[in-house]
Amino acid sequence: MNLIEMNSICKSYRNIGFETRVLKDVTLHIKEGDYVSIIGPSGAGKSTLMAIMGCLSQPTSGEYILDGEEVGKLNDRKLSRVRNEKIGFVFQAFHLLPGVTAMENVTLPLVYAKNPPGNIKERARELLAKVGLEHRLHHTPGQLSGGEQQRVTIARSLINDPRIILADEPTGNLDSKNGIETMKTFDNLIKEGKTIILITHDQEVAQHADRIISIRDGQIASDSKVSHEEQIRSL
Amino acid sequence: MRIFKNLGQALRGLRLNRSNTVLMTLGVMIGIASLTVIVAIGDGIKTKVLSRIANMGFGPESFSVIAGAGRMFFTRSKNTTSMTVEDAEDLLALPTVRLVVPRQRKSMQIINKKEFTNTRVYGVTPDWQLARGWKMKDGDFLSDNDLTRRKRVIVLGATPARKLFKDQDPMGKMLRLQNNYYQVIGLLEEKGMTESGYDPDDRTLIPLTTSMSRLTHQTHLHSIKVVALDSSQVPETMEAVRQILRRNHNLSVLAEDDFRFITPEGIMQRVTESEQALNRMLILVSTVSLLVGGIVIMNILLVSIRERVREIGIRRCFGARRSDITMQFLFESVLVSLLGGIMGVGLGLSISFALERFDVLPTHITMEPFILSFVFCSLIGLIFGIHPARKAAFLNPEESIRSQ
Repeated sequence: MNLIEMNSICKSYRNIGFETRVLKDVTLHIKEGDYVSIIGPSGAGKSTLMAIMGCLSQPTSGEYILDGEEVGKLNDRKLSRVRNEKIGFVFQAFHLLPGVTAMENVTLPLVYAKNPPGNIKERARELLAKVGLEHRLHHTPGQLSGGEQQRVTIARSLINDPRIILADEPTGNLDSKNGIETMKTFDNLIKEGKTIILITHDQEVAQHADRIISIRDGQIASDSKVSHEEQIRSL
Repeated sequence: MRIFKNLGQALRGLRLNRSNTVLMTLGVMIGIASLTVIVAIGDGIKTKVLSRIANMGFGPESFSVIAGAGRMFFTRSKNTTSMTVEDAEDLLALPTVRLVVPRQRKSMQIINKKEFTNTRVYGVTPDWQLARGWKMKDGDFLSDNDLTRRKRVIVLGATPARKLFKDQDPMGKMLRLQNNYYQVIGLLEEKGMTESGYDPDDRTLIPLTTSMSRLTHQTHLHSIKVVALDSSQVPETMEAVRQILRRNHNLSVLAEDDFRFITPEGIMQRVTESEQALNRMLILVSTVSLLVGGIVIMNILLVSIRERVREIGIRRCFGARRSDITMQFLFESVLVSLLGGIMGVGLGLSISFALERFDVLPTHITMEPFILSFVFCSLIGLIFGIHPARKAAFLNPEESIRSQ
């Protein structure tokens, strides 16, 4: 069964009378447990596609079925709940709340959860330990390095146990060492059965995935499986 | 549950944006402080006035009838000559009347050798002391003998006594009023100045007959003080007094009274009226300053939201609904407003306390400002917070997450 099913998605922005078509008839199916990279040059529509996938914006036309639910027509309340329960975001610029400790940043999604678990702190501590930050629980983003901050965001994306991790240029602001660390974390998450969608323009990062979708001018230019050998070669 | 979480996030937001919080608080604080001070002063004046009326010698069973039409202390005709000693005698004949004190009054210079002062000279009967219940500090009050023989004797209040005699003992000394000398036969006990600046001790008393024949050279009275047997009889006594005076003064049915009443209730009412007018104006002023405070909150919150677009975007990404964002910012504005209110009440109370302490104005502290400021601040927070909060909630999450 497809976890993500996008059929003929179009997205256009209207700006002072001009209509810019960013996505043109994108059809895309992603199965549960898939490890997918979406690549393309800047301005190709990657970010817009991610915003629609992440339920941050609605398509102008087309059908988006997420986990069996048509989300293109949900109201704000339901859409927020979908974001909260099914999607974990990882951003290039980390997007942690400034001045707030790692622990509290990680638990942010639970603030908005309908049925938050009882052992919130316990879970947050576990997740931070999992990304190797058990010694940084009470540090604020300003006191953490870039790599550490990105690991906090990964812990935050996992706290609600979502089925999909949406990562937008997760290594973009990191040095190569921290980049490799981050990618290892994603590689491990796949083993736990998460569906990971990486948005990147970095070929090397994209090669971690099992499937690479290339976007150009708002359309899917290619959609190919990455063979195991290729993956090894690229490393 | 959700509401408490958003409250928590609001508290965090306020803590993290400290300078904005302080600025927002200031506006409301000033408004509430002035409101608190105003209420305290209003209550203080009322309390003092009540005790002052008790001091004025107006027992609940007495009232004054003053010559000349008008209201209370304000007369329209200065020279009403209709009220006479005969009127006073007729009033004393009323069954509910215990005492009647006819009075003449003149403000004039009183001289002791080289010292002189201006004071009020009253021509009264010996019953004056009974009606006022005013004790003597030294000597005796005017006697019936003084009255019938039109003696040139004088009783001094504390103020003229001090001004004319300094440290000397005034008893038995001679004072000059116009071209006649009067002997000091008694000194009144000091009452002290009232808050409004009225000095009850600034008076001298001479026999009414002396006043008529030697001082004013007039037979009409300034006023008559009437003491009823019981306070419950005051209204009917006043009505009876009105009838007698109208008849004695030959007033037609259509003519208005050529005299007016001063009663303790009347004074209280007047004071309350003027105090209410003052209060209304001051409350208007502080309402305006509270509105300004509210507008300050709204503006700063709008700026703050522009600075926090990214934070809002992050929250939306991780599942915050529009209503959550609205709630968070509404809580921020209400909390900031309440905080300003608490600080304002604190500041206002300190100012009120200082005013009382350093004798600037009387103040009286009640629960009123606490309740008022709580209500006002919550309202201001809600009213002026709703626009910024909605604005924050309706930011596009996709765009706000990208904003720098």
